[in-house]
Amino acid sequence: MTTEVQFEMAETELRGVMVLRVEGEVDVSTAPQLRERLLSLADRGHTLVVVDLSTVSFVDSTALGVLVSGVKRLRAAGGDLRLVVTERRVLKVFEITGLTAVFAIHPTADDAVRA
Amino acid sequence: MTETSPAVAGEAMAADRNQVELSLPARPDLLFLVRMTAAAVASRADFGYDQVEDLRLAIDELAVTLCGDQASDGRMQLLFKWTEHAIEVVGVYESDHAERRPPDLSPSNATNELSSRILEALVDEHGVDVVGGCPRAWLRMRRRKGTRP
Repeated sequence: MTTEVQFEMAETELRGVMVLRVEGEVDVSTAPQLRERLLSLADRGHTLVVVDLSTVSFVDSTALGVLVSGVKRLRAAGGDLRLVVTERRVLKVFEITGLTAVFAIHPTADDAVRA
Repeated sequence: MTETSPAVAGEAMAADRNQVELSLPARPDLLFLVRMTAAAVASRADFGYDQVEDLRLAIDELAVTLCGDQASDGRMQLLFKWTEHAIEVVGVYESDHAERRPPDLSPSNATNELSSRILEALVDEHGVDVVGGCPRAWLRMRRRKGTRP
């Protein structure tokens, strides 16, 4: 039985672009960690960031709020925040909130980097 | 003393069998327990997979609406009730400290607006109010046609 929220993040670089791979559930308890990591990446000069949510099983409005804040900050710096979403349930949350019009959503990290 | 007919008492017992109460500290790290309970109730009520997942997300949004994103000294009380047609959930936030400001229930910030959009899309009815000084949020999800097992 699960006794806590599963959540992990890992950074990799793909053709010079920072890819932040997120795993598990992004909710009100774990979204602050994602916010801190995105702020850290921006502070380290990464203006183009791919957030790979392909192994994320759950997102809620707090997770979306963090991603919206991130994309605003990176675009203000001349960059962008691109998403990788493959899980149907996760994509649905972006669709019903209208955020598919805000984010560039790709099927793979490779596609997101090449876009 | 009020007498209750066997038929009425039987209906009340049946109703009791179809409800679950959950009481827990209003802490973000415990929200997964609320989601697990919602999924279990929806499965028990024989809702289809998509509606089980929809309720899991909707109840998460309801709880965040009630308790905000910070740990508090309060508690969250949730009552899940179901029939063959629908599931209803009522959540109440209670704090021991009267001076503590209750959670902001207005859709005044971006996250609340996103939460409201999610609830609008997933459930048939939802709302927030204040009862006895305690913030309350509720939702109702009807069984979708064609999903009865």
